[in-house]
Amino acid sequence: MTKEIKISIALLIIGLGAIGGGYLYKKSLKKVDEIKVSLEDRDDKKIILPELSDEPADIDEVKEYMKVLSATYKKGKSVLPLDDSELDSKGKIAQDVALKNKQFLSDTKTPDGKLLHNDIMRVVPAIESMLTKKSKKECAGHDCYVVEKYNFATNATTRAIVNVDTKRVLQVSRYANMQPDISNRLTRIAKAIALKSPQIIKELGYAPSPNELSMANVRTNLKESPCEDKHHLCVAPTFADHQKARALWAIVDLTDLRLAAAKWAGLGKTYTPACIDERSLQNKYIMENFCQKDNNLSRDGWELTYHLTGSDGLEIRDLKYNGNIVAKSLKIVDWHVAYKGLGADKLGDTNSTMIDGRRVEFVKGENNEYTFGYNDAMGCPMFSTSVVLAFNGPQIKPIIEGGKEIGFYILQDFRNPKWPMACNYRYQNKFEFYKDGSFRVVAINLGRGCSNKAIYRPVMRLDIDLDGNKEQFANYDNGVWKDWQIEGKYQSTSTEPLYKDSYLYKIYSATNSKEGFYIEPNRGQFGDNSRGDHERVFVTRFHKNEGDEDLLTLGSCCKLDKDGVEQYLNDEVIEAQNIVIWYVPKMQNDDRAGHEYCWADSGIDENGNPIVKLYPCIAGPKFVPISKVDK
Amino acid sequence: MKKYAPIIVVLFLLAIASYFLLFKDTIEPKKKTTFSFEEFNKNRSCASLPKFLLESGLRTSIIDLSQQKYKGIAFYTRNYQNVLHKKSWERFDALGTYTIDKFGNLYLTPNPFISIKPSTFNLQKAIYKMDSTTGKLTRWLVIDSISPSATNPYGFISIVYDCDDDTLYASAIDKSGYKGIKGRIYHINPKDKNYTIVVKNFDALTINILKTKNKKYLLAGSAIDNSLYAFEFKNGKLNPKPHLLFTLPNPKLHIRKVKIIAKNSLQIEAIKFSYSLIAETNKKQRYIFIATFNPTTKKWEIKEKN
Repeated sequence: MTKEIKISIALLIIGLGAIGGGYLYKKSLKKVDEIKVSLEDRDDKKIILPELSDEPADIDEVKEYMKVLSATYKKGKSVLPLDDSELDSKGKIAQDVALKNKQFLSDTKTPDGKLLHNDIMRVVPAIESMLTKKSKKECAGHDCYVVEKYNFATNATTRAIVNVDTKRVLQVSRYANMQPDISNRLTRIAKAIALKSPQIIKELGYAPSPNELSMANVRTNLKESPCEDKHHLCVAPTFADHQKARALWAIVDLTDLRLAAAKWAGLGKTYTPACIDERSLQNKYIMENFCQKDNNLSRDGWELTYHLTGSDGLEIRDLKYNGNIVAKSLKIVDWHVAYKGLGADKLGDTNSTMIDGRRVEFVKGENNEYTFGYNDAMGCPMFSTSVVLAFNGPQIKPIIEGGKEIGFYILQDFRNPKWPMACNYRYQNKFEFYKDGSFRVVAINLGRGCSNKAIYRPVMRLDIDLDGNKEQFANYDNGVWKDWQIEGKYQSTSTEPLYKDSYLYKIYSATNSKEGFYIEPNRGQFGDNSRGDHERVFVTRFHKNEGDEDLLTLGSCCKLDKDGVEQYLNDEVIEAQNIVIWYVPKMQNDDRAGHEYCWADSGIDENGNPIVKLYPCIAGPKFVPISKVDK
Repeated sequence: MKKYAPIIVVLFLLAIASYFLLFKDTIEPKKKTTFSFEEFNKNRSCASLPKFLLESGLRTSIIDLSQQKYKGIAFYTRNYQNVLHKKSWERFDALGTYTIDKFGNLYLTPNPFISIKPSTFNLQKAIYKMDSTTGKLTRWLVIDSISPSATNPYGFISIVYDCDDDTLYASAIDKSGYKGIKGRIYHINPKDKNYTIVVKNFDALTINILKTKNKKYLLAGSAIDNSLYAFEFKNGKLNPKPHLLFTLPNPKLHIRKVKIIAKNSLQIEAIKFSYSLIAETNKKQRYIFIATFNPTTKKWEIKEKN
């Protein structure tokens, strides 16, 4: 074999190898191109949500604005006129004329005289398309101006056409659920909120200057706001980073006067302001950060994993304290919501009926009574079997008592998009972890439901893990701890004597009675205005298909003597076994003035803005280490 | 020179192999297939009124699947003064969409509503049929491979009858998740209930058939975005490649119903949809648009109907 033939063979082998490799690489690139459409926007960048808060931004511009509003209300007026700096001489006349017009001002007070926050947004020469035939005639040869105001409480825009020469209002039109272009005053405030927001500064890595910010999303017509679900006035100032071809969009809620959300996005055409709204950002943020992945947390000796589920709310998994396993899973799987009604004889023999315009399930009782209602599942905002959806991400905050930090909690908010309207719900899952090794699982109801005779039952599934799953459950009965041998349930009277005045149940290691937890039911002693748990407790042997994975709606909303867990009671032995505690508190709502509970009311605050008054009802037991109690 | 011939031959062969395997489609890009839509008109449907409705005196009727007052299905007269609803029509829980064949039989798809019951997922695997003569509602076709789950409770979601060959098209959106779309469109022969999957990896929230002057399309409103797509029939067979027709102005809306209302004009009903449970179906939750096709400019104009 000649030298040239050897070279040829070597070239052929290397060449074929290189071509083969190149071909496979090219094929793999094609595969990437061919990935099917998904809801994950691959070009999307980070979403930033501020902490859950009802407070306006703590900045000078907002304080100044609220001061001006307050001064206006003190004069008995609720419409904030434009500053002279935003008006020409004819505009001033037009604004004065409009502000004396009864029709223009007719939506500025509630029927009982409460002032509603209104801002004049712009006063400019009227254009032909705004005018009726009659107005066109009258405006020919005259100066006609348009005066637009926005009602923050009703989310409506009112437009008046004023003949400046005759000082007459020619037409008044009102547009429900519409927002106008905003005034320079509000533009300044929106920019200030964006510029001074700690989340924006943190995201940019420095305090931005005003000339870095543009207001591309100032409303240019009377279309839906980015905060349409809340019916608030929102705008989206933007910080462009041309070097990296991206921009940080800040959504500023001008009704609440705070940052609502922010998002990094490309500068390309794809990213039109229309795609950026608070709810969509929240959904994407929640899906990508808490539904699609687990989060780990280590704090105050505790280690845990948490995520949002499809229908079981926020789940805490693999909970450890000081390195020792405490629980495999803690979650609230369901809320049973039942209302009481009278007139069962009129309901026919189906199991559903119309109540307040909705078809609901009902169960007939005695004395012509019946109960009707819903099973509410809480979960991820997309791809879930829930109707009460995660709102904002989990909030992790310290627990402060007497000025001292004694632990931390994780709180997740779930809402029907239309809460607090009737038949819409808001729930919270809260898990409190204390430095001393205690923890509490808390279910919070923030109303408002369909009526004032509601009974709410959150179903808590608490899979405590002790001593390699050799667990023992006991209840305190007339001064004696009684161990449970087989699966069962217990209905508390809420008046039983408690061990050391606090504990009614305990779960402990079958091999070491000092390892485990006393369970302190809520009798209103936790300082949160709760009216107690009135709980029913079930203990079952662990089975993976009994709720370890996402549990779909459990049992009936309306059979008050059943919680749905009964189906798992099979007389199985639970002594020294891996057991699960199901803790089901019962709360009754109350709408009596001064006694509201599990209730929410819409109202108007002192500044004429819409507010929601909350009357939460709170339930849930506290687990205290046995070693802390029996020292 | 001759001694270098093997090297030259090898290099030549490698160059040819590289050309065909690595560069050909880069140098000569595949010709882009252009999609051109034509003018269309409202065609008379072959659907006939169910015979049992005629017998019960409801000569004109409105089909109510809103689940507000009645579970399952109910029929109203035009003025909503008379209603026909039977308890047996509630047995398959909430129903979402329907189509009627030329004999007056109704085919219906299910809909998970407000909360999940033990039977809910199973109910989503089926198409239901209401017999034209008896009005009896039965579980007509069950496809067990349809698998709703805790992260996507939906199964069959829309159905349409093809008057040309008396077959059905039905879409299912189960198995789709946040990271991938796995919806299918089934072609079903009602005579023997045989079916084939004609479109894969497309989540159609609604489907309808539209004929232009020369072509026939299956229109599909996407569950994943705010657009309407068209699948073209070629020689009677559905081509599985979707063509974008238009996109609604609001990115949060998804097309749930498409109706041909006049020449070059569609009425679009859109809803907010996120693959979680729907709690309300009243008119306030639906957004109506009129989409008008301009055959000259080949563009669509979308207007919201107030």
